[in-house]
Amino acid sequence: MIRTLKLYGTLIGFVTILVFFSVQLPDTFLTARNLLNITQQVSMLAVVACSMTLVMVMGDFDLSVGSMASLAGIVAALLFSMGYPISVGIAAALLVGVLGGVFNGILVSFFGILPFVATLGTLTMFSGMAFFTSGGKTIFGRDIPTEFSGFARSGLELDQIGLIGLKLPYLSLVALLVLVVVWFILEQTIFGRRLYAIGGNQEAARLAGLKVRTLRLCAFAMTGFGAAIAGLMYASRVASANPTQGSGLMLDAIAAVFLGMTMSEEGEPRVLYSLIGVLILGILDNGLTQMSVDSYIREILVGAIIVTAVAFSSITKQSR
Amino acid sequence: MALSSAQLDLAPGRVHALMGENGAGKSTLIKILAGVQRADTMDVTQDGQALTLTNAEDARNAGFRFIHQELNIVPHLSVAENILLGWAYPKRFGIAIDWKRLEQQAENALLRLGVDHIDVTLQAARLSTGDRMLVKIAGSLVSLDGEEAQLYVLDEPTAALSEDEAEKLFRVIEQLKAAGVAVLYVSHRMNEVMRICDDVTVLRDGKTVLSSPIADTNRQQIIFAMTGRDLEEVHPKRKTPIGKTIVCTAKGAATAEIRNIDFELHEGEIIGICGLTNAGQSDVLQMFMGVSSLLEGEALVAGQPAPKSPSEAWQRHIAYVPRERRSEGLMLRRSAQDNIVLPHLASLSRSAGITHSKAEEATAKQFSNAVRLKADSPRQSVYELSGGNQQKVVFARALAAAPKLLLLDEPTRGVDVGAKFDIYSLMRQASSDGCSILLTSSDLPELLGMCDRIIIMRDGVQSAPIPADALTPAKLLAQFYHSEAA
Repeated sequence: MIRTLKLYGTLIGFVTILVFFSVQLPDTFLTARNLLNITQQVSMLAVVACSMTLVMVMGDFDLSVGSMASLAGIVAALLFSMGYPISVGIAAALLVGVLGGVFNGILVSFFGILPFVATLGTLTMFSGMAFFTSGGKTIFGRDIPTEFSGFARSGLELDQIGLIGLKLPYLSLVALLVLVVVWFILEQTIFGRRLYAIGGNQEAARLAGLKVRTLRLCAFAMTGFGAAIAGLMYASRVASANPTQGSGLMLDAIAAVFLGMTMSEEGEPRVLYSLIGVLILGILDNGLTQMSVDSYIREILVGAIIVTAVAFSSITKQSR
Repeated sequence: MALSSAQLDLAPGRVHALMGENGAGKSTLIKILAGVQRADTMDVTQDGQALTLTNAEDARNAGFRFIHQELNIVPHLSVAENILLGWAYPKRFGIAIDWKRLEQQAENALLRLGVDHIDVTLQAARLSTGDRMLVKIAGSLVSLDGEEAQLYVLDEPTAALSEDEAEKLFRVIEQLKAAGVAVLYVSHRMNEVMRICDDVTVLRDGKTVLSSPIADTNRQQIIFAMTGRDLEEVHPKRKTPIGKTIVCTAKGAATAEIRNIDFELHEGEIIGICGLTNAGQSDVLQMFMGVSSLLEGEALVAGQPAPKSPSEAWQRHIAYVPRERRSEGLMLRRSAQDNIVLPHLASLSRSAGITHSKAEEATAKQFSNAVRLKADSPRQSVYELSGGNQQKVVFARALAAAPKLLLLDEPTRGVDVGAKFDIYSLMRQASSDGCSILLTSSDLPELLGMCDRIIIMRDGVQSAPIPADALTPAKLLAQFYHSEAA
């Protein structure tokens, strides 16, 4: 019984939330339009949470993902405003993401700085860079090419499957793609298995012949890359870039992964469970907004849910 | 269902050995005494009075003290603080800690054990394993308001100790005996039990199968009681000759911890490396594993310079069983299978780094069978396995490398008699198949029974290899001290 609750508690919570909103918002919640809307709303968070899972399976953290997302958005927007083509802006933003991730990885694996401390430092650095390069201003309007901002507004027509006039947003597709890629990396490749091994016992992994430093560096680079993707998605969605717009992503992403971890038998992060964590947060946000619950109350609720889920899974772990 | 009908009678002033293979129920029995686990039916009486043990507090009040196998010492606190941890520190003006008195109390606790060589102001991290054990015991000696310890439970206390550290511990146990407390001594080591214990209880499959004064029983009887079979020959004899080819060479080799290492290991040969604690035994293995780097001289494996990293070592079929299986060997929360295939993921993969779960499963199965792993399935988490089976998982991992050179660092530490026998058979099998072995051990009969030649280390310097047939345990032990005097 306890075991079942431990493993499925979070899932049950997820379903409860779904049922609650369906009852409370009978006309608007469980509609195709709203559900598609939710997939778009959570897409950025999903991308960050999936790539955060890569470092969290090693027992590490990356606190800098939020400010990296902001920085990536700024880099792309600045290049657009200087007249570079969209492809150059996107490529540069993604490159910045990888470089930032590599920098995190070097600090963590070669200098041996605790990830929490190292990425707290780079969080501030990336944020400072975003402010400095943008002059602290929001880049918007004519500087952002319409093709770029149009991406977030369009999607795959769903008329074929009977949902007339609805679109599956491209942003949701990007998130899905990232999810599939991360899932494949973690569950189907040697690389992923090795990341889990590092999380299981770093010293044992090293003595068993794993190149722990290189592996950690690669994982951090990937997380940086994911953060940059999310930053670009955000910039496209709001057709602007400002140096703080990604900052909310980090805590939510970690929270989502934690929620997911409560569902795994070994207490390990799994990317599909991270997705459930993302959906819990996203649906709460969507439903409570529709019920016009104060956004501060929303924060209290979200925090309480995370603490409850994690506390519950720790208690049951101890009682074994 | 770890215990079904176990019985244990402890008398004051006597040392009682609790023996049995891993999984026989020793730990469960101790946990019940500690109030950590509840039995479905049980009677505990103390001085004829019934005793309820529902939590750790009850056990403490009853005067039970526990020294666990895994030393949970707080490394960055001082010795004095570690001794008094969990008790109220002496205070000045009701708030500030009175460090002088704290240290005094700690020293007194150590002195009661006859220990005067430990500086209580030192950081506990700087103590040797043996001294940590003494600190731990001293900590459990501390009592408040005349509340005296009645029973000490020592769970494999010498597992991590060298011979001379163990000697110190035995003296301490003598002191405890003289003070009229009962000691429950859990150990796999027959020699110790025969020497220091007065009574013995053997558990098998959760039942008490033997309970007797030591004087009325013998080694054979105890081993038979533990395993249910006679282990006349624990160490299988060499059946195939040692090869001519030299697999592994050290010529004046030095790392940060060892120097002037010189020997040649032949194909199929087993060389034992021993000495007092931390004399550099493990460092010789680490040098060939690419864990510590060569500073001087030459270290060759199969004619090539020794590997620069563990990763290279595994690729060159050099396999390693590290000293600390929990911290250096295993991913405890993961399955036996994951642990076995960890170094071999690449060779078991499909192309392009994609895992091949069928191949992994097959390998895990093949080698769990080879080491006679007792697990529900290879999918079972390693932390659920007994110590002996955990060690077999580490062994299976090493064997799956098809090793040419096997580096075994205390491979039978904390392992029960049955699993030991299995491990010895595996070593002999590997050696017959042409695998060369470097073995460190503090178990002298093991060294003499398994090795062809033995190297004695002292402060990072080695003796010339001595053929094992020329040695007896007494001679070998004398060598440790002789070389120390030199």
